[in-house]
Amino acid sequence: MPSVYTVASREFSDIIHSKRFIILVAVFSIVFMVGMASIYLTVLSMAQGLGIAMPTGFLGRAASIIASSMSYFAPIVGIALGCDAISGEREKGTLKTILAQPIYRDTFITGKFIAAILAVSIAVSIASLVNVGGSIVILGVTPTSEDIARLALFIVFSILYAISYYGIAILLSTIARRTTQSVIVSVTLWAIFTFAIPIIASLVAYMYRPITGIEIIQRPGGNVTIRRPSPEEMQRIIEQTRARATITEAINSITPNYHFTKIIQYILGFMQGGLNQSLSIYQGLVSAWPNILVLVLVACITLIASYMVFIRQEAR
Amino acid sequence: MTSIPEYVIETYGLTKVYRSGGGAVVAVDKLDFTVEKSSIFGLLGPNGAGKTTLLMMLTGLTLPTNGSGRVLGYDIVRESREIRRRVGFLPEGFGFYEHLTAEQNLEYIAALNDIPKPERRKRIEDILSLVGLYEVKNRRVSSFSRGMKQRLGIAQALIKDPELLLLDEPTAGLDPEGSRAFKDLVLKLNSEGRTIVLSTHLLFEVGPLCSSIAIMNRGRIVVQGRVKDLISKLMSEVGYKIYVEVRGDLGKLASALTGMEGVRGVRIGVDSLYVDSTRDIRVDIVKIASDMKVEISSIRVEEPSLEDLFIRYYRGEASNA
Ligand SMILES: Nc1ncnc2c1ncn2[C@@H]1O[C@H](COP(=O)(O)OP(=O)(O)OP(=O)(O)O)[C@@H](O)[C@H]1O
Ligand SMILES: [Mg+2]
Repeated sequence: MPSVYTVASREFSDIIHSKRFIILVAVFSIVFMVGMASIYLTVLSMAQGLGIAMPTGFLGRAASIIASSMSYFAPIVGIALGCDAISGEREKGTLKTILAQPIYRDTFITGKFIAAILAVSIAVSIASLVNVGGSIVILGVTPTSEDIARLALFIVFSILYAISYYGIAILLSTIARRTTQSVIVSVTLWAIFTFAIPIIASLVAYMYRPITGIEIIQRPGGNVTIRRPSPEEMQRIIEQTRARATITEAINSITPNYHFTKIIQYILGFMQGGLNQSLSIYQGLVSAWPNILVLVLVACITLIASYMVFIRQEAR
Repeated sequence: MTSIPEYVIETYGLTKVYRSGGGAVVAVDKLDFTVEKSSIFGLLGPNGAGKTTLLMMLTGLTLPTNGSGRVLGYDIVRESREIRRRVGFLPEGFGFYEHLTAEQNLEYIAALNDIPKPERRKRIEDILSLVGLYEVKNRRVSSFSRGMKQRLGIAQALIKDPELLLLDEPTAGLDPEGSRAFKDLVLKLNSEGRTIVLSTHLLFEVGPLCSSIAIMNRGRIVVQGRVKDLISKLMSEVGYKIYVEVRGDLGKLASALTGMEGVRGVRIGVDSLYVDSTRDIRVDIVKIASDMKVEISSIRVEEPSLEDLFIRYYRGEASNA
């Protein structure tokens, strides 16, 4: 269909020439990278001071910097491109002009989606390369060829993550009457997914599975001792901790953020709190498969929902 | 006129109900209407009459709630894309990409219409000159005045070389000169055999241009037909206002006319008479005057204007409601 290509190429050229896009890519990738790196360096020097062993190798050191910077960058790029995709055209009246031409409405959304995938790929790749390059300079460690393969996969899944947020944003932009509404709702949703849900998850887990059996005894004079639990108590505490983790994960898994974090942990080979280099790239992909599927589904479902809303919608 | 008219637009019981919140607005109400091929058709009506809704249904920008319609023989629901391929549409409240130039905007529209690349450039330039934007084709639309954007809107509708043009409020924002240029353009396009439908609430802007009109109010067509037919119909209903300039005895002529069949009233002015009659009695007046040796220097019928038509049918509808 040539008109999909026509819509996509105009949209793509609009995006990459927009101030919003250029500023996002330039400022965000550099500022965030520098911020993350300085935090990491602080942690590193503290760890050295306390005599704690830190992970080694390029990814061992840089993975958390790169991953955490991307975990903010990708959703924001997705939202920035998607939040006015339909409502903006409706407000400017261009939507009517376009719909007066012989195209199908789904062509319009598909064209936008394709353009967004391309633009997001460029943004994410540039940001990742800046981060990787910056990490090499700041940390003074060079990546191995396996590191590079892992980073390439990381870029692919970061694009997928950004697109899933783009999908949410374009759906909201299709439903909303005004762009301001869709911006507010998508940013709020992002904040809820990023900050509120993890806190809620921990709270709920704590409420349902309080860990009992550990007694902290404060004696006069300020000495604190922990009463050693019996083996049976120990067993129960382990079970309770597991149950809590299950609840926390179940709640967190409603957010795309959770699935992205999981994928990245498997792909970059680090787990929370330490390195998990035992997983090969292949094993990582296999373990991450369900999470990958969730992000693909989020992108597809939001796209289909946008079609369905848009096709029934009044063009005024 | 014995030839069977060919219709480019036909609707049957076409209805649109907007539902918002709890309420429902019947924007177009069981509309049956036709537009003859090669006419200049004025869709007239006050704000909120349903003109825009009707045009949007005809081009598939909004779906009818009920009823059906055909444009150029294509079904407005199932074949709306074929309609948009052949019909140039200027929607109400249209817009362009402000950061692109006039030419780039039209380039995009041309691409969406599958106009082959080699043809595009020439066609765009021709159309830009036609609407008087050739000199500013490389300027961004953001620097355009309202009238310039309006002309670009008309250019956009012409890109596909349409046999039918649907223009919603086409003169909005045009200055008198632009408006005159627009009328010339409409006449030119019509002389090439294209049918043009103009919607407006400003009767005087485009009314005189139209060969046929439909007056819409509250989602219904109050009256429609050829302007000529409508005016003679109106004249037979409201009567003939005959203006006679006389040299001689006004009073004698006036009293002679007062008794005539069909005459409802005679008013005497300065060297002139106004006769209100149910028939065209000009010939009789001239005859009586010459019998009385009263000299008539001029005699004419004041035709009702479009405005009279509009006011009559619009008021008529309002009082029925
Ligand atoms: N999206 C909508 N939702 C609800 N009501 C609507 C919607 N669009 C139009 N209407 C209503 O439908 C009716 C007809 O509106 P329409 O725009 O078709 O009239 P119009 O003849 O084009 O008026 P104007 O001369 O002001 O352009 C109006 O009462 C309007 O309020
Ligand atoms: Mg209107």
